[in-house]
Amino acid sequence: MRLKHTITVLKKEVLDIARDKKSLFSNILLPIIIMPVLMLLVGSGTKKFTQEMKENITVALTQESASPEAQEFLKNQIAIHDENIIIKDPVENPEEAVKTGYVKLVVVLDKDFQIKYERNEPFSIKILFDDSKSSSGGSVSVLERAIEKFNNVTTNKRLEEMGIDPEILTAVVQEKVNMTEGSPGNMILSMLLPMLIAMLVAVGGIPAATDLVAGEKERMTLEPLLTTRASRLSILLGKYFTINIFTFVSVLSTLAGFVISYIINPETITMGMGNVGGVKLQPAAVLLTLAVIVLMGMTFSGIQLAISTFARSFKEGQTYLSMLIFAVMIPSYASMMMQANDIKMYMFSVPVLNTISSLKMILGGVFDYSKLFLALGTSVLYVVLALYLSVLMFKKESVLFRS
Amino acid sequence: MIEIKSLTKTFGSVEAVKNISITVPKGEIFGLLGENGAGKTTTLRMLATMLKPTSGTATLNGYDIQKEPDRVRGELGILFGGESGLYNRLTVAENISYFGELNNMDKKSIQNRIKYLAEVFEMGDYINRHAGKLSKGMRQKAAFARAIVHDPNILLLDEPSAGLDVSAMIVIQDFIKMQHQLGKTIIFSSHSMVEVDKLCNRIAVIHKGSLIDTDTVENLKTKNKSDNLEEIFIRLVGEKQ
Repeated sequence: MRLKHTITVLKKEVLDIARDKKSLFSNILLPIIIMPVLMLLVGSGTKKFTQEMKENITVALTQESASPEAQEFLKNQIAIHDENIIIKDPVENPEEAVKTGYVKLVVVLDKDFQIKYERNEPFSIKILFDDSKSSSGGSVSVLERAIEKFNNVTTNKRLEEMGIDPEILTAVVQEKVNMTEGSPGNMILSMLLPMLIAMLVAVGGIPAATDLVAGEKERMTLEPLLTTRASRLSILLGKYFTINIFTFVSVLSTLAGFVISYIINPETITMGMGNVGGVKLQPAAVLLTLAVIVLMGMTFSGIQLAISTFARSFKEGQTYLSMLIFAVMIPSYASMMMQANDIKMYMFSVPVLNTISSLKMILGGVFDYSKLFLALGTSVLYVVLALYLSVLMFKKESVLFRS
Repeated sequence: MIEIKSLTKTFGSVEAVKNISITVPKGEIFGLLGENGAGKTTTLRMLATMLKPTSGTATLNGYDIQKEPDRVRGELGILFGGESGLYNRLTVAENISYFGELNNMDKKSIQNRIKYLAEVFEMGDYINRHAGKLSKGMRQKAAFARAIVHDPNILLLDEPSAGLDVSAMIVIQDFIKMQHQLGKTIIFSSHSMVEVDKLCNRIAVIHKGSLIDTDTVENLKTKNKSDNLEEIFIRLVGEKQ
């Protein structure tokens, strides 16, 4: 094997792919444009959706229960506890009213509620909502909280009238303190970013890998190349490093799109779920995690090269290689809801999962170096195995000349 | 000089080349004549160290294809017919230069050689054009130039004029003759009897992986009492069946 030959192959392959305008557009330019558009659309959609459930909670009584007293009660005793609750005129058909968007919720009050209220007896308020409509189902909690407040105010007033301190009803006061550093946006980011990076690293090199062996086989350019003085290993390594380069170019251009989204509106990268920040990153941990990401890219480049070598044609290569996404999707989805401290030690040794886990850990502000070194060590092992597999394929004539 | 000794290649249960032995002295144009699938390309692929023989071996200018594949590849230039195997997004000069570098040539020698080959193959007008934009004839000339950029002593030509128009074919044939005059050893595979008759000193008739006969074109004609190589080929193949 000669390093000079590997560099020659690498330079030629990079030049060859760089001249392919379609590849350049889909691998570099498109992610830079599409990411901000996508993030802005999803982010603003999510924000609108959450706002919709918190604001403009339109409520109406049913025609049967809509006495002037009931209307008055709803307005002055319930809606008064939340400025987002808007009382509308009574409705005849509750289902229709929610469906058409006239109101989000419909309320049914006992006909004799006034008498019961004055007698200090409980009466019922029935909330009618449509769970298949997020603006209706999601608004229930707002009205529930307002009713709860009315309950508290009324109970306290009644106790005070009886000369009893309302505190007697409170045995314990609970207080919740979140010990995690950072804002709520970090949680969303630690769910999304590791998955996104893992997927990009796994598929970023596919167009280059497909072209470099399966494509060469189809175009009959591989055979003359094998008759030069360059050894098969030199040729293979040249192609391998090319795939690596295009994997990371693709990842970086997508991340550039991500950064552009952040610059336009910081909340877009957490899908409108708040800002990120507050976590103090440790440089050593960040470097170890970056190394794990790079090693995952090198593993996938090796696997892609082996698959591309096995394929008879460009199309067959594309079909096989597109299945690689499942190798990332399964561990990504399985660990999506996990937070930094939920990740078990063994997960740092499983391919793909070790990258996702390392990223989740540092984004969650947890820095366990034994776990990071385990991820690094196993990643090196996977690179060696993937490269060995591709060398094995490239040297096997029954595979290389399969037609 | 090329010495093929009991060369055999099997793919699973298919015997593509069966125990072929041929000696081609230095400076000879030797024709491999056979129908499609006769085993010509497999034989050339083994000589070019792309495929490993199942048994037997061959030496090219003294280098064994199994023991010294790198040295063997340094001795030879190979051209496959049909598809030219050029990189479409590279220019003709870049295609040639790439193979020059992979054959351990320095940049200056490559540039000199490109100039020479552009002149010989009349490629001056399109040497800096992308290969994907060339006609089939232009592409085949460029592929030929790329195969011999390192000035190899042995040429393995697998149907080099397949699919070419007459003028491109003449350029290729003239260049083969020129290489012959320069003392290069050439194995020329073809199913075109006319071309083999025109170019080769000696020929081997191969059928279903086996060597049927080897001789000079003249001797084959005398032995078979015919001036028509096609007729002789049909007779030899027919006898084997």
